[in-house]
Amino acid sequence: MDHLIDRIPLRFEIYEEGDISIVNLNKLKKYVQETTGIEIFLRGNIYENISMDQVQTIAQKMAQLRIKDPEKEFLNKTPLKGEVTYEEERISDQKWKSFGILYEGILYQKHLADFPLKKKLNERYCSILITNQLVGTWDQNDHRYHIRTSIYGSPHIISVPGLVLAPAKPREFYIKRQMGVPVEILKEEYKGRFLEHGDLRTTEILKGYLIQALFYDLIGNPFCDDSDCRLFNSHWQEEMLHAQLDGKYEFCSKHEALLKKIRNTNKEVQSLKMV
Amino acid sequence: MPEKIFAAVSEKEVTRAIVGGFAKQFIEYVESDCLIIGGGPSGLMAGRDLALKGLKILIIERNNYIGGGFWIGGYLMNKVTVREPGQKILEELGIPYEEVTPGLFVADGPHACSKLIAAACDAGVKFANMTIFDDVILREGNRVCGAVVNWTPVQALPREITCVDPIALEAKIVVDSTGHDACVVRKLEERGILKTSGYGAMWVEQSEDLVVEHTGEVHPGLIVTGMAVATTYGLPRMGPTFGAMLLSGRKGAQIILKKMNKD
Repeated sequence: MDHLIDRIPLRFEIYEEGDISIVNLNKLKKYVQETTGIEIFLRGNIYENISMDQVQTIAQKMAQLRIKDPEKEFLNKTPLKGEVTYEEERISDQKWKSFGILYEGILYQKHLADFPLKKKLNERYCSILITNQLVGTWDQNDHRYHIRTSIYGSPHIISVPGLVLAPAKPREFYIKRQMGVPVEILKEEYKGRFLEHGDLRTTEILKGYLIQALFYDLIGNPFCDDSDCRLFNSHWQEEMLHAQLDGKYEFCSKHEALLKKIRNTNKEVQSLKMV
Repeated sequence: MPEKIFAAVSEKEVTRAIVGGFAKQFIEYVESDCLIIGGGPSGLMAGRDLALKGLKILIIERNNYIGGGFWIGGYLMNKVTVREPGQKILEELGIPYEEVTPGLFVADGPHACSKLIAAACDAGVKFANMTIFDDVILREGNRVCGAVVNWTPVQALPREITCVDPIALEAKIVVDSTGHDACVVRKLEERGILKTSGYGAMWVEQSEDLVVEHTGEVHPGLIVTGMAVATTYGLPRMGPTFGAMLLSGRKGAQIILKKMNKD
């Protein structure tokens, strides 16, 4: 347990990528501060104040991380000129809206650490990027890429469209879609049972993912087996909505106890500072 | 004896009018400012915008009819849809439409397509229909500066008839608006000049934005627009909504104008 105390981050640092205006960052900040007692800083866009040279370097690299075929472990080693131009435009426009390209998540994370966050990451900080882009990881079991809601590490990546697209919708949704029922009709029929782009519940759902990032830093495991706990690793939309919005409690007793310990430790640190 | 309705014209005069008119235009357009391969919505839109700026535009179309898939929407039903802001182009072209749900607009396919074709013609675009793209013309640095074409029916001739040689058309810029086939880009790929990705299959909702954002010069002298963009960059497939085709054509035209310092 003492090891845990040593690992409590000094602060949260939140970075943004693209347009994430659906997320109320101040609400998230207040929640994280109250839940953990750890200070949180909103650092703005990850590409703020980077030079034109850096834009070109980052764009070239980003274009190489596109996954073209999710069934092939493929990297776009020689991107087309248009792909690099697209990345340059995306990086330069801090309110870039569109997504739909799937990036290799592990390399994306490494690339962020190597370039835009090079001098900003600190092992004592819990650094989180909230992105409007899609990231995926290769699954050794079924040999294909899957979209992810989050990739924990340094920095942690949490994808807003990933929350919509990674956890699966109700099984019947896909069966009916295969039978030719238009998506718009299905969305109406299953309304509320999955998150949609621009969904006002996004901020509330993100709260749990920020705390998952904290637990990854603390104990190396961001997840909990309890489906009522916000740390539950949801594979289905309905699981995610339950764990984040209407679980029996916010955190299971084990994780709640750990959070309490973190809060108390931070209080003690703060009082020592005052003295 | 009732008076004849039509003027007396002999068969040979009709033939001379066809051949003479066609030859005159064809000779004039053997060299153009911009050669657009594919007469679907993105090619027409690009051609129309460029011609309005005074550029000499020739559109090559392999079918007899111009308009590509713009005549019909999904499942062969003749209603075409566009999403906001695509309706602004419908308005500009005088195409009637209705808002179905916020941000989604529907128009009659035949009305929309014929108006777009007419707008391109009115702007001064010329067409070579029943003409199929065969190859690219490359100059220094592999810059694309024209296309080799042939009559479409030549493809259907028996293999024994191999002497139907194509002809070449030159242009300052070539546009690939050949839809999913991306014929011109594929030809460069065949020659080992660039590598495309083939189209993806996911996230239809996002594909329209991505098609417009990726519209541009894929290789010196070659601009790619419309669904050919999706094939070139491996973007998701798109549903039967045409806003991206129109906006991609417009963006392609803007890029060309900028390159020619005419914007």
